[in-house]
Amino acid sequence: MRRLRRRPGAARPVVTAVTVLTAAALVFGASACGGRATTHHKPGTSHEQADGDTGRLLTTDDGSGNRLREVDAEGAPAVTVAVRRDSEDGWNVQLSVRNFRFTPDSVGGAALLGRGHARLFLDGRPLARVYGSWYHLPDSLVRGAGGGTGLTAGLYADDHTAWAVNGAPVRAGASLVASSAKPAPGTARSGQPRSEEPRPDTVLEITVSGGKVSPAPGRTEVEKGGTVRLRVRSDRDDELHVHGYDKAARLPAGRTATLTFTADRGGLFEVETHGSGLLLTQLVVR
Amino acid sequence: MTALAHGIGSQHDLPLSPFYAFAGAFTALFVSFLALGLLWSASRFCGDRAGRPVPAAVQRLADARPTRTALRALGLAAGLFVVLHLLLGPDDPERNPAPGAVYVLLWVGLVPVSLLLGPVWRLVNPLRTVHLAACRLLRRDPGEGRPLPARLGLWPAAAGLLAFTWLELVAPDPASATTLLLFLTLHAAVQLAGAARHGAGWFDHADAFEVYSGLLARLSPLGRRPADGRLVLRSPFNGLDATPQSPGLVATVCVMLGSTAYDGFSDSPSWITTVQTSPLGRTAAATLGLLAAVALVATLYALCSGAVRLISGRIRHPLPSFAHALVPIALGYLVAHYFTLFVTEGPRTVLMAFGADDPAPPDPLLGPGGVATLQVLAIVLGHVLGVVAAHDRSVRLFPPGRAVAGQLPLLILMITYTVGGLSLLIV
Repeated sequence: MRRLRRRPGAARPVVTAVTVLTAAALVFGASACGGRATTHHKPGTSHEQADGDTGRLLTTDDGSGNRLREVDAEGAPAVTVAVRRDSEDGWNVQLSVRNFRFTPDSVGGAALLGRGHARLFLDGRPLARVYGSWYHLPDSLVRGAGGGTGLTAGLYADDHTAWAVNGAPVRAGASLVASSAKPAPGTARSGQPRSEEPRPDTVLEITVSGGKVSPAPGRTEVEKGGTVRLRVRSDRDDELHVHGYDKAARLPAGRTATLTFTADRGGLFEVETHGSGLLLTQLVVR
Repeated sequence: MTALAHGIGSQHDLPLSPFYAFAGAFTALFVSFLALGLLWSASRFCGDRAGRPVPAAVQRLADARPTRTALRALGLAAGLFVVLHLLLGPDDPERNPAPGAVYVLLWVGLVPVSLLLGPVWRLVNPLRTVHLAACRLLRRDPGEGRPLPARLGLWPAAAGLLAFTWLELVAPDPASATTLLLFLTLHAAVQLAGAARHGAGWFDHADAFEVYSGLLARLSPLGRRPADGRLVLRSPFNGLDATPQSPGLVATVCVMLGSTAYDGFSDSPSWITTVQTSPLGRTAAATLGLLAAVALVATLYALCSGAVRLISGRIRHPLPSFAHALVPIALGYLVAHYFTLFVTEGPRTVLMAFGADDPAPPDPLLGPGGVATLQVLAIVLGHVLGVVAAHDRSVRLFPPGRAVAGQLPLLILMITYTVGGLSLLIV
């Protein structure tokens, strides 16, 4: 009955830009890679861990049984990690690599400089092996690994040795904290475009379940001109609506929908669901 | 305007800052006791007999047959317009002007129009016109019919007012075409049946909109002197003083006050939570809330009039004697609660009626501070008018020695209503 003005998908251009940049980084990384690609290994061919003669195999391991393979600092593989909370479940992890290429089709082969895969660790415990720059880390996996917030990514060669520089594995960390949509300090590569939207001034998390709204409807003071982000999860298909601003979003059952807008008009506005007609909260904009 | 928010009026006034409310409450208290000590000690208002006649030409124009016919035609056209839009238009209050015409232009618009020009709805009421036309066809005298029982007074109007405010504030989907058509059909059926039985005088007692408009018109500077039928300019106090003390007057005023109060607190998140989580269901819970608000207003009034009777001893039925003094307080509530709705949704509805598709609401006339000031001023001014009206009535009714003591319960009642009205603007 009421018209819907859907918000244009602002996320798509950002993702495209990131993909292009990542691809560019990969291309440049590959061309800058100094190792000579002398052999090619078919997938599944088995090799000893100490296979290949790239770099220098150290006796120390990475803490989980994989020996380190030291290479010169110059031209060595490098990685940075960025995480951001997924709107639905878990985290999106982005690995930005330099002098490195993901080579899932030759895993298990000999170590070639600048090639291989990445591994994720949560508080030092192995979490997953990653064959690309983006990885979705579900909450269930975080829970299954015993929880924690310290996410680390390391780069590994095809023979499962860990790339290392100056005796330390090539690694980067980020922190899985709800508010830190930004990469952990020091891990963000400078010049990397920010893939997140500007941080909202007000974030409201609301759950509707069995016709009950939690937290119970209240008033939220919002400064005029501030950004408001509503994150609403309903247990049935519904529609979210912000009166006055006339912002609407679909609420698929059981999934969190996010609606972000700028509160540029003063007044008292109601946020409600249209199907079930429940008031979720009132925004007091002044 | 929680219920209306589903259809009309998507922006609410900001809650009042306590500073404004305290300032208002303090002024109200101060004025009340000042009035007690300083105002006249012999009644000054002469009600119906007061007023300065308007120029004869104006009166001739106002009373001219073409004017009256034009007004009737206008009312009938507007009524048809609304019904046709409800029947044929889209069932979307943002595209169909009919819901806005009923809830904003008629219900809220009657307030300023009646205040300026008097009881206009009598002249425009399409149901009256339909009744008149039917009587002409049947060659009957429209005024003819069984006399209404005197005890009935304004009670049917009070019931009608309660029904309409229920529709506006409680009904699940007040702005939907089905709901409105159902209400309008029922309203028309009851009114026309009553008028067929009792003659056109029925509307004066039973049409909620006529009685509502008539009560507010008591505060209009324009009035008609019953003795000689002259249109006069008069002080609103005299108009108020001339309010007939019909049975049901108290009930009507209590419905006006109680429903507007309910409109205020039904906005607060705590009440919405109560309604949303009530095991009775939302509509039942909200209905109880509305009835409780009216009952609370009425109980306070009954307690007050009991106290007046105890103190004065002489007045046997103080209940209706002071009801007129509550009209300005109800008006203050109405202005405070509906000003923004009227100035934003009123023009939108008119634009829609002229064919605009979902026009944007106009920029607000007043900033947040302006609206808050207006709200407090309306409530405090209503309070002051009410206090003065009640003072004059009590010096007339009470023996001189008891006039001050006799109006104390009234003062307390009015302060309660006013502080209550202000606190409803804070929540």
